[in-house]
Amino acid sequence: MITNSTIRRIVSITYCAIILLLAVGFMASPKKEFSENENRYLAKEPVLSVKNLVSGTYMESMSEWLSDQFPMRDFFMGFKSTVEIGTGKREINGVYVAQEDYLIEAYAQPVNTQRIGETFRNFYEKTDSSQIDMRLMLIPTAITIYRDKLPSGAPFRSQMDVAQEIYQTAKIPSIDCIEQLIQGAESGQLYYRTDHHWTMYGAYQGYLAYCEAKGLSPVPLESWSAQTVTEEFAGTLYSKVNDYSHPKDSITIYTNPNDRLTVTYVDTGEVTDSLYNLDYLAQKDKYSLFLNNIHTCVEIENENVESDAVLVVIKDSYANSIIPFLAHHYHKIYVFDTRYYKEGPSHFLSEHAEVTDVLLLYNMNTIDTDSGIRGIY
Amino acid sequence: MVFSSIPFLFFFLPLCLILYFAVPFLWGLPWKGSSRLNDNLENCIPWKNGILLSFSLIFYAWGEPVYIVLMLFASAVDYTNGRLMERFGTTKVKRTAFLCCSVVINLSVLAFFKYADFLIATLNGIFGTQIEPLGLGLPVGISFYTFQTMSYIIDLYRGEVKAEHNYFAYLTYVSMFPQLVAGPIVRFADIQERLHKRTSLVCEVEQGLTRFVQGLFKKVLIANQVGALWEEVRQLGAAQTSVASAWLGALCFTLQLYFDFSAYSDMAIGMGQMLGFHFNENFRYPLTAISVTDFWRRWHISLSTWFRDYVYIPLGGNRAGRWRHLRNIAVVWTLTGLWHGASWNFVLWGMYYGILLALEKYVWGKALAKLPRILQHVYAFLIVVFGFVVFAITDMNELGTYITLLFGVTGKGIIDMQFWWYLRNYGVVLLVACVLAWPVYPWLQNRAALLERRAGIVLSVISGVGSIFLFVLTIAYLVNDTYNPFLYFRF
Repeated sequence: MITNSTIRRIVSITYCAIILLLAVGFMASPKKEFSENENRYLAKEPVLSVKNLVSGTYMESMSEWLSDQFPMRDFFMGFKSTVEIGTGKREINGVYVAQEDYLIEAYAQPVNTQRIGETFRNFYEKTDSSQIDMRLMLIPTAITIYRDKLPSGAPFRSQMDVAQEIYQTAKIPSIDCIEQLIQGAESGQLYYRTDHHWTMYGAYQGYLAYCEAKGLSPVPLESWSAQTVTEEFAGTLYSKVNDYSHPKDSITIYTNPNDRLTVTYVDTGEVTDSLYNLDYLAQKDKYSLFLNNIHTCVEIENENVESDAVLVVIKDSYANSIIPFLAHHYHKIYVFDTRYYKEGPSHFLSEHAEVTDVLLLYNMNTIDTDSGIRGIY
Repeated sequence: MVFSSIPFLFFFLPLCLILYFAVPFLWGLPWKGSSRLNDNLENCIPWKNGILLSFSLIFYAWGEPVYIVLMLFASAVDYTNGRLMERFGTTKVKRTAFLCCSVVINLSVLAFFKYADFLIATLNGIFGTQIEPLGLGLPVGISFYTFQTMSYIIDLYRGEVKAEHNYFAYLTYVSMFPQLVAGPIVRFADIQERLHKRTSLVCEVEQGLTRFVQGLFKKVLIANQVGALWEEVRQLGAAQTSVASAWLGALCFTLQLYFDFSAYSDMAIGMGQMLGFHFNENFRYPLTAISVTDFWRRWHISLSTWFRDYVYIPLGGNRAGRWRHLRNIAVVWTLTGLWHGASWNFVLWGMYYGILLALEKYVWGKALAKLPRILQHVYAFLIVVFGFVVFAITDMNELGTYITLLFGVTGKGIIDMQFWWYLRNYGVVLLVACVLAWPVYPWLQNRAALLERRAGIVLSVISGVGSIFLFVLTIAYLVNDTYNPFLYFRF
């Protein structure tokens, strides 16, 4: 006969069983080195020594190791997010769960605005502006353009005020693409639903603004061949929220049939004819297919461009989606990721007199914490 | 190590309990030659104590590999003075000498590690001197174990407890990991008998486990969540905070402190029960108090009774005239404030309660009791919430700003979108917290006991499934582990 005390006993035994099974699971399971979902290396088993014991680092790393290598981590993360969203929570780990299945990253209070502007100004003042046409492009992220999609009442901080401050301090002629983005929002998807980057369609709006500012004639979108390469894109924001029921997004890439490209990755010596590396589609971090993920310096040559215009792009990962459009207008483009390029682009400019144009391109969300900007100048 | 962490819950605790419960079986094996249960029970206690002590020392050393020496020293001092008092304490003078020796050492160690820098900063502030602060970290749990070990020597002096002869048993008491770092403050008199003779009955282990898990829920699912909201409000900045948000923040901190601290006590009491000990209750729904006096009978009971029995009553309590009584209140509450931390806001917080208690005693206590019950609750609750704002913010300037926000000096108005956004994100957990601050759970249990059998079974199945769901959710939060500090860890 079932009694209340039997039920209580079953519950207690279940608690114990869950604890023991997970503990055994930890010991039995192979240890992972890298978490794709979190995009980071997991803690390793600590080394026991007297020094580590006395300082307490052994215990700290032991705790980290036990937590990082805990079995069924992804399941637990997903379970937590599902329950939180179920209770009405609309901000998880700094990401808003917005309308139309958009995940939109919150914009944190910037703290480095002044320093960033001054770094840009120093760089600008050191270059000869009679020889080189330099432009600064700060791209607003989804929270600005898609403000109407945010859950109601979500705190909002203006990115454009901060962008204006940086433009004014830097004194570099600016290209503001916000109007273009707002126009483009009516007929296409500007940002990924699961990632913090803009789509190639969004980047095309940036390209239109760029062409207008530079007096170039943009190639209409219809003339590019579009190809949807995946429907399974679960980007960085997806990983932050960990709601596995959230629909994934697609990635569409554009190529121009008239371009003949030679792409050289200077750091690794790789040479290809495409700006996309579709091998990344097999991995979780699919945005890396643009310009083959992170490289300190990339050289792009387009044989079918007659002019001798040479562009240097100093940028973060947002630029990887706009460069395929820009490549149509320049015989040669040098792309620098100053987070990793240590020699400094100003040194590069002084050695390469053939450079005619410089574009600095950053998105407003990560510019404040971008560790590479210090390295520009 | 904190209780609500993966290393503790999945490795430390199971291993400790498995070894602990295995002892009687090992001891009862045929080659040990004993089959009588009672023999068995008494013989295995030293082994059980040994396991408990080893695990407690590992537990402490996990966070404080160096300062563990301090705890060993403190317990050795009191143990030795206890033995000496028993052996040579033939006259009151001699007994007093041993008592003083012990108390002076204990308090000096506590004062040195906890209050030296506070004193230096205060002196520098007043006299403009430039004394370098010592920069010593506060040893974990020092405020708790110092008070525990002092309770032993004072009780011994008063003849309320027998001197302990076994140092390891005494050290087991001082270092016992369930209550080592955040209470409750267990008195030696309450535990001495069971240090030498105890059993673990299956039903007690089960009750203890249930209590422990409830504490875990309170800590991880409620305290940590409302605590995260309090941090959000605090970081909003004065210019962005509306009056409603400021009060919401204060409410969150109050709930966080109560659920955090009482969860720790629940877990300690639960684990104690599993190990065969009975610790006294430390909280009795303090947020439902009807007066400040009532609040302090319900909040951190082991601390307030400690101060009552070892400071307030020896000073004469309320029996030596009004002025002596007021002086005693002032002393006890300044000390209570200081015990919570070496900073002026804690002193303020203690004095705030001292003054309110005196006022209730001599001015409006009788009138208050005649008010409608609901108003008494509101009165006590507002005082408590406001008090915890003083408690929460160590920086005096920030504290001043926050208090002006509470009383409407803000550009954001009475209520704003931000407030609704907080409610939307945290509404459910806030509601659950506010309900559970009242004794609904015992009330439901009593109600359920009156149900007819079948309905009762259905109810227990539902609550059982619910508990397991919450348990898995708790593990999920621990795995996510973005926010898991124990507020009382550094006291």
